[in-house]
Amino acid sequence: MRFIGHLSTISGIIASFMILASVLITCQMIFIRALLGKSTIWQTEAVIYLMIAATMIGLAYVQKLKGHVGVDLIPTMLGPRGRRVMAIFTLTVTALMMIMMLYYAYDMWHFAWKRGWKSETIWAVPLWIPYLALPLGFGLFLLQLAADLWVVIRGEDIGAPVAAEDRRH
Amino acid sequence: MDPLVVGGLVALCTVVVLFSGVSVATGLLVVATGFLFVFDGARSLVALPELLYGELNSFALLSIPMFIIMGAAISSTRAGPDLYEALERWLTKVPGGLVVSNLGACALFAAMSGSSPATCAAIGKMGIPEMRKRGYPDEVAAGSIAAGGTLGILIPPSVTMIVYGIATETSIGRLFLAGVIPGLLLVSLFIAWAIYDTWRRGAAGVALSGINYTWAQRFEVLPRVLPFIAIIIGVLYALYGGIATPSETAAVGALLCIVVAMIIYRLYQPMALWAVLRDSTKESVMILFIIGAAGVFSFMLSSLFVTQSVASWIADLDVNRWVLMGTVNVFLLVAGFFLPPVAVILMSAPILLPIITSAGFDPIWFAVILTINMEIGLITPPVGLNLYVINGIAPDISLKKILVGSIPFVGCMVLAIVILCVFPGLATWLPDYLMGPAQ
Repeated sequence: MRFIGHLSTISGIIASFMILASVLITCQMIFIRALLGKSTIWQTEAVIYLMIAATMIGLAYVQKLKGHVGVDLIPTMLGPRGRRVMAIFTLTVTALMMIMMLYYAYDMWHFAWKRGWKSETIWAVPLWIPYLALPLGFGLFLLQLAADLWVVIRGEDIGAPVAAEDRRH
Repeated sequence: MDPLVVGGLVALCTVVVLFSGVSVATGLLVVATGFLFVFDGARSLVALPELLYGELNSFALLSIPMFIIMGAAISSTRAGPDLYEALERWLTKVPGGLVVSNLGACALFAAMSGSSPATCAAIGKMGIPEMRKRGYPDEVAAGSIAAGGTLGILIPPSVTMIVYGIATETSIGRLFLAGVIPGLLLVSLFIAWAIYDTWRRGAAGVALSGINYTWAQRFEVLPRVLPFIAIIIGVLYALYGGIATPSETAAVGALLCIVVAMIIYRLYQPMALWAVLRDSTKESVMILFIIGAAGVFSFMLSSLFVTQSVASWIADLDVNRWVLMGTVNVFLLVAGFFLPPVAVILMSAPILLPIITSAGFDPIWFAVILTINMEIGLITPPVGLNLYVINGIAPDISLKKILVGSIPFVGCMVLAIVILCVFPGLATWLPDYLMGPAQ
């Protein structure tokens, strides 16, 4: 369990640095284009891939921080027992959904890899690289969901609602 | 099966699934997958990850994490309290100066952070205790900050507006500008009510008198606030001068805000910087995942012809356009009671927009109406985030008092919606004036 927790934290750190990198690359792109007057080739595409990868790889970490918002009206109205049952139910549904996403995402990545698909730009990136973020992200997310489910079943997590100060939108 | 019946089933299932407590993104994926499987067969599921990927594959979306970093960098500093102090020292001669400076600080901080709960927390931490100390009733102190905080999603740069712009393919620059005058209108209504309520409760004598500050005290706070305001003005200038796209501007703004936070507020400990980065990553990933899932959801709606048939059904009903607008408002209000603004926009925009535009309403104007509806949801139970934020920073004011204090401000927002319906120009004039009339 702790291993999965650490794994999610590491993926969260990687996702954060991907976002930071996209800030810097975008600034660099503006610098080259506006001040040096040269054209840019790879930056726009790269930051989009970084953003997608950060989103996918960050899923597990956000789950660990209980940051995926939902309507928690019914769970907060229930007692501890009901809340636990609801938590087991929602975690199971989420996990099943992600198993399915993982299956089809792997398929998509595998096709891109086997057939050597490339992006339709001058940069012509082999598409299996950005596609890889999807199965990887869903896989890590699934591990964290399984860990959370285990903790709830063992009764160590009471499924307390997330404090409002920790949410921004 | 008739697409309209399918649409009804989708709506019902979405409500049930979301109320079970699964996250919004997962809920949308589950409903979309279920309907695609039942009506289009298992083969259609192969495209799921590609739809999600395709939805996220857009440079415009990059402005979301960028603006979030910008806001998080500002929120992590003392900029909120400083801003409040600066306004308080400068507005002390104005009657009700404290309320004015609190709500003004909310509006300005909203412009910098783009987040409602963050605005509430940043200004409320200093503003609420100060207002109570000076004799303002608890209800006014708590209610005005709860309401002032909601401006975060209306006054630019606003993540909510970006999401609307992307979901409906409307110009983000225009949307931002459209929020300015309605935002000021709301601030004025809030201030008017707060002063009236203080007077009504018989606390006017103590509360509305000001404290005198020397000019030295007034100037001393400026250097800490002006750089951030300069960045915001710079960002908006770059956006409207046509110098850069929203994503590019936001990236520069994010970098500058981090640098300013490091220099002026000495935010250079690695842990503090990491906290900014972590919070913005958490926020961005959550929103982007909902956007991806909503992409799958709206694909399902249009491939089962739900979007198209609902729009034509409403058009055939031939109701009065204001009755239609009223119904849409009630729907948005109810949805906003339960769901975060981003989710409401992503789920409803693809269906509502064709209806709204075919009834002759302006999509930019509608964005403002929609956002004010979402603001109401932030200060009404059961999930009014701002109420709980206030409860967190001022635990000795009961939730009931916060709620009682906030309800009149909901009235102000409804009034603002009515005013905007009568004078739509309040929202559309500024973008048309600065960017030329819409095509």
